[in-house]
Amino acid sequence: MASKGLTQAAFFVLTALIDEPRHGYGIAREVEELSEGAVVLRVGTLYGVLDRLTADGLVALDREEVQRGRLRRYFALTDAGAAALSAEADRMAAGARTATERMAAHRPGFAGGAA
Amino acid sequence: MTGLLEQRYRTVLRLLPASYRAEWEDELVATYLHDADESELDLARPELGEVASIAALAVRVRLAGPGGPPRFAALGSAVRTFAVLSLLLHAAGALTERALTVAWFGGAEQPQRALFLGAFTGQGLPRGAAEAVLWLLPLAWVGAYAALLRDRRRTAAVLAGLAALSAPAQLLTGPPFPYAAVDTCFALLTVAAVCCGHHAEAPAARLPFLPPGAALLGACVLMGGATVAWPRAADAVWGAGCAVLAAAAVWCAARFAAARRGRSPEPPADSPGLPLGLAALAAAVLAQRTAALVQLTTALHGTSGKGAGVLRPLLVGSEVQLALLAAAVAVLGVLGVRALPAPPRVTAGAPPNAVRGG
Repeated sequence: MASKGLTQAAFFVLTALIDEPRHGYGIAREVEELSEGAVVLRVGTLYGVLDRLTADGLVALDREEVQRGRLRRYFALTDAGAAALSAEADRMAAGARTATERMAAHRPGFAGGAA
Repeated sequence: MTGLLEQRYRTVLRLLPASYRAEWEDELVATYLHDADESELDLARPELGEVASIAALAVRVRLAGPGGPPRFAALGSAVRTFAVLSLLLHAAGALTERALTVAWFGGAEQPQRALFLGAFTGQGLPRGAAEAVLWLLPLAWVGAYAALLRDRRRTAAVLAGLAALSAPAQLLTGPPFPYAAVDTCFALLTVAAVCCGHHAEAPAARLPFLPPGAALLGACVLMGGATVAWPRAADAVWGAGCAVLAAAAVWCAARFAAARRGRSPEPPADSPGLPLGLAALAAAVLAQRTAALVQLTTALHGTSGKGAGVLRPLLVGSEVQLALLAAAVAVLGVLGVRALPAPPRVTAGAPPNAVRGG
């Protein structure tokens, strides 16, 4: 998993679970907020990602609650998930640093997001 | 709270396998309906994007990778095997046919050359250009095959879709022969298998027994050799039929040899994905062979004398190949189905991953 890197959806799902366990709807809302609306997870996509992350041991079932007559499962980030997320964040940060440095060297007018 | 929207959404969820629904359905429904407007529960319908995401999830679950439930992993493996072998067959067929045509053209008499070139030059520029594109388009199968085995899935799907366009073009430009219809279905089925089988969570495509280049070269030699060895029996399906029969014979020999050694055959010979994928490929070629035979029999009824003498060896070759292909489909199909793991148990409300072990 780590060698292939995380998909954008998986990256945001893991990020959404950093602070506390969440249920499916909570994850979808949090992902939308964290990505400023750029990533909107449909239910089928969300549970496909959760299924894969659970199978890979990056996410685990935390608890089950019954609300309004329906079972609701809460998912939590595992240690392996935190490590994979941290590695992916480092990789992305390194890539962003490289791009910023090259922009500063070759196109100083655009470096650091300046207009 | 059970409105029409919930019922409609549960209908969409029936795309998913029963075992998956038993585990996840209520959760999916709760997530979907969480912020639905209660006053519209009987009026609204699931959005198309939502239905598409469930359909995509259903494909990923049913055609799982090695980490999925064993039965779904085996079915996924069968579809992926069919996809890669079908691309190999189409690629080798496209290369062989064009190589043989070029070789024939080099040694043909001037009137025959003029007749061949007339298809491209004798009907005006637009029609000639369209004919040339249609003649070259099947070579995109080669690109699709190479892309899939380099794990460039989207490129493979696009190239396969492009190559498959040449098949329905036969239906538009020629008479509605059954062979053209079956050929079109086979091409579209291959594209569907590439798209659905090789989804994001599926393992990288690989060929059993041989490296990709050697397999393509071997298939070309086999298909070209079969045509050259018995040109009077060689029609559009002859080379592909011989190649599939050779692959089935190799698999059966490997399985027989493993059984004689007194132990369970090693994968991939024992994996149900390989015999099932090969059986599906043989069934597709069998359908092509049947359609071609129907056309041939119809033609033979309206022919007598020298024409019938030319068609008769073609008929014999076709009938023999049809019988062998049917036997291959039966043997591979039965062995593959018998090796399939049992369906996952349906356990309502089981915690995540409970189904995986089933």
